[in-house]
Amino acid sequence: MQNSTWKPDPWTLLLWGGLVAAGLMALYSITRGPAVEYLSESVRDDFSRQFLWIGVSVVSVGIILLLPVRFLRYAAYPAYATTLVLLALSLMVGVEVHGTRAWLALGPVRLQVSELAKVGTVLAVAQLLSKRHMRTGQDLSFALEAAALIVAPAGLVILQNDLGTALVFFGLVPIVLFWSGLSLTVILLMVSPAIAGYLALLSIRAALVSAVLFTGLLWWHSGQRSIAAFAATFTGGVTAAVALVLNKILQPYQVERLLSFTNPGAEQFRQGVGFHLVQSKAALQSGGLWGTGFMQGPQTQGAYVPEQTTDFVFSVIAEEFGLVGSLVVLGLLAALLLRLIKLGAEVKHPFGSIVAAGAVGVYLIHITINIGMVTGMLPVIGLPLPFLSYGGSAMLANTALLAIVLNTHMRREDLSIYGY
Amino acid sequence: MDEYRTRVRIYAGVVVFVVLLLGFRLVQLQGISGATQDGVPPGSAVRTQFVEAARGAMYDRDGTRLVDNRPTYTILLTPRYFDRSKAPLLADLLGVADSTVHRRLEEARTRNAFRPTPSFREVSFETFSRVQEHQYELPGVTYDMDLRRRYHTSARAAHTFGYVHEIDDRTLAQKQSQGYRLGDRIGRTGLEQAYESILRGERGRELVLVNVHGTEVKRYRNGRMDEPSVGGYDLHLTLDHEVQALAESLFVGKRGAAVALDPDTGEVLSFISKPDFDPALFARSVSASVWDSLQSNPHDPLYNRATQSGYPPGSTWKPFMALVALQTGLLRENERLNCPAGYRIGRRIFRNHDGKNEGRITVAKALEVSCNTFFYQVMEEMSLNTWHDWALKFGFGQDVPLNGFRQEPGLIPDSSYFNRTYGRWTQGYTINLGIGQGDMSVTPLQLARYAAALGNGGRLPTPHFVRKAVHPETNDVRRPDVAAPTHIPIDSSHFEIVQEGMHRVMTDGTGQWVQIPDVPSAGKTGTAQNPHGEDHSLFIMFAPYENPEIAIAVAIENAGYGATAAAPIASLMAEKYLTGTIADAWERRYWRKRLREEVRSAPSIEADTSASPPATQAATQSPASTPASSRPEDSFP
Repeated sequence: MQNSTWKPDPWTLLLWGGLVAAGLMALYSITRGPAVEYLSESVRDDFSRQFLWIGVSVVSVGIILLLPVRFLRYAAYPAYATTLVLLALSLMVGVEVHGTRAWLALGPVRLQVSELAKVGTVLAVAQLLSKRHMRTGQDLSFALEAAALIVAPAGLVILQNDLGTALVFFGLVPIVLFWSGLSLTVILLMVSPAIAGYLALLSIRAALVSAVLFTGLLWWHSGQRSIAAFAATFTGGVTAAVALVLNKILQPYQVERLLSFTNPGAEQFRQGVGFHLVQSKAALQSGGLWGTGFMQGPQTQGAYVPEQTTDFVFSVIAEEFGLVGSLVVLGLLAALLLRLIKLGAEVKHPFGSIVAAGAVGVYLIHITINIGMVTGMLPVIGLPLPFLSYGGSAMLANTALLAIVLNTHMRREDLSIYGY
Repeated sequence: MDEYRTRVRIYAGVVVFVVLLLGFRLVQLQGISGATQDGVPPGSAVRTQFVEAARGAMYDRDGTRLVDNRPTYTILLTPRYFDRSKAPLLADLLGVADSTVHRRLEEARTRNAFRPTPSFREVSFETFSRVQEHQYELPGVTYDMDLRRRYHTSARAAHTFGYVHEIDDRTLAQKQSQGYRLGDRIGRTGLEQAYESILRGERGRELVLVNVHGTEVKRYRNGRMDEPSVGGYDLHLTLDHEVQALAESLFVGKRGAAVALDPDTGEVLSFISKPDFDPALFARSVSASVWDSLQSNPHDPLYNRATQSGYPPGSTWKPFMALVALQTGLLRENERLNCPAGYRIGRRIFRNHDGKNEGRITVAKALEVSCNTFFYQVMEEMSLNTWHDWALKFGFGQDVPLNGFRQEPGLIPDSSYFNRTYGRWTQGYTINLGIGQGDMSVTPLQLARYAAALGNGGRLPTPHFVRKAVHPETNDVRRPDVAAPTHIPIDSSHFEIVQEGMHRVMTDGTGQWVQIPDVPSAGKTGTAQNPHGEDHSLFIMFAPYENPEIAIAVAIENAGYGATAAAPIASLMAEKYLTGTIADAWERRYWRKRLREEVRSAPSIEADTSASPPATQAATQSPASTPASSRPEDSFP
């Protein structure tokens, strides 16, 4: 406390500002451009409301930066518990939007609880894992506790019918455990089935090749036959399961829906599930190298791309500012993540460093899935792009998480005083 | 702490890897496949609308507009954007039942719910305007304008103009490389087909931004990527529309053909094949029933008798016989041959028309009185192959150099033909050829060229319909290549003898009742025997007698004597062309009234339907008869 100065990392703030500005520009283009007449009433005010939420977020950053780190650690579990309660509450009295019951109405404000839950979960898991220092790095029971901590809200989110957000929680497990020292072998064991599963959707052969590669890699890395057996079982099992589900369990139309992202333009998809992807990819292509210009995107301004203020906001930037614009935004995002990793690494105390890793994990999963979806590499999974998509709760939660990382980094000396 | 640092690096590496992966994908989508070939961006927001080029108009030889275009309007529905609650409004505006709108909507949906489908074709301008006014409240309703043919004068000239019709799948497959698209209209017959490439023009395109409801918002990039359409060339024809209209009116109730040429230039002044069809029928979307009725009509109105029907020329052949006999030395100008009532070849007796004995007469007299027995003697002296070779020099037995029209070459037999067909044959088989009967046939177009050559002293002109093609915007002029006339190697003195004989036909012979008042002319009637019914009536003429300006051939099926059907039509056409009017003389009034009221060809249809088109039976035996083929279009320099 004595050594710390009130000096949040300026690069992080700058990158945050750049991304928020890019997002605002896209929202402005949509809601103030020709497209506005095709938007529903509720979407037309997205720009102003986002502006307001950014204000709220900035205030929250100020408040969080004032808090002592110790308070954050004490508050971790209560915050986690609160978000669980809120999640449960939203299941009971929540507002349903697009078939997802994720919103709690507080007067005029709607809160998407699952977004806040990410912050609570990251704090809680950081708090849990930071006590680990007395134990050995190979302790699996801790890992299981941490995983349980993360999976609990994920379960509630699934009940909300919001698979995309649940994926973020699941994805967080290996990232956080990896950062806190769980052996690479175990991490690979966790990650490999997911990769094999994704490949199995595209091609069973590719999935089998990856299963063999993972098994070999793990065998070579660990030198243990049992680990190799696990790897083979997991990857092979997931591949077989996917093959079975695709070929035997799901109806053909369900399979087509699931796989529509691989061929969204096909006649049977382009008007249904493929519509988003066809129009989004068209927007990207329409943008070309230099873009069509601000408020000039034919796809954007014709309101062809659905959800273009939220999940597909990236296609707006890509169309109106072209490859140049989309690479700049992607670059800003990458720079922010790398900067946060650096900040996390500089914090010697595990709490701060795990919070940073968790925050990067949350953002990374969002970015991968969102841009992967917009560019047609992944199925349409409704996840917003951090700092750019419209969404007050997400803006607030993502910014607050960022502020927490800034705070722990800024006060890293405080932590080390009673750390080890 | 080394292990920790490694983990930091790995984590950062994963971030970089993921970002690079996404970056590559963006480069792939935006950098590589972003720019499309024609500059039209993918997706639904930019719609390419094709702007049809105005098809070239046609004018007659005096500049009278014969054919141009009129706009027609089509209402299109895009089911995905159509608001079903607006169906009653649309039905109201179109003046149709609600159920019709719903039905068309379903039809469109089965084709493609996202694309505008032509649902109401050829709505009137008033209806179109009403819909246009309400378009803002009718999402998913768009319209298209395109151009259809409009015919201006009472001259139908159906077989000259031909018709324009929606391209069929087979033609489309061949012509796709030339930019034809499904639903395009293309010239199918006649001049529309022959000059398709220059009439057609070039389609333009407009790129418009459409919103998510399928309605146009504005031009894409303010029209910078648009390409304007370029209209086709206007054709300035050689036709005289008044002569054409007159001739058509005289063909009432008759089947046959008439061709009038300028004997010096080969310009086609008039070109009739009856029965015909109304080319304006094809300017609307031809319903299946109309099409069927045209095709199944026993009179076969789509068949071009002027170029495809072969008729035995009958006595119109005699000037040819006279010329060949004079040139080959079989006859001299003042040599007299007997013209008995009958002439015996072997055991058969060949007779004159009316069984008259004219005594010893010269060749000119033989033409005047149309003596059959005179020409039997000539034919008996002439070898069949000499006859055949000379007939080819007159342009018979082969396609006329007139591009773009389906033709039959007709039948001009030689000895090998008779060997093939009959094995053993005698002069009894060929003697009839001397009077244009028997195993031979010629088309009205060939006859018209022949009449022109008779009139101008041996130059066989190249018939053509187009003087020039003028581009209405650039005023660029293109003139078709017209081949020079072919010279028939017969002395002009011989032509003079024959012309004299043909002149006497008009003054004293079979043509004396169809003389043009105050204009000396020359002609020859023909009455061709026809095994299927009544004789065919034929006539060839040229006028004025000195320096002819028009040469005509007329053939009318099953109409009896040449002098009573074909001759008056040819004479009235020539008079109209030369004087611009029809003299108010009683013979002229008589012929006009009679021709307009008399049904000549009709009664024998029953016999004809079995072997329609009638007189082609000779032609179908022809060894030279190749499948009718349309030739490449006229080339322009």
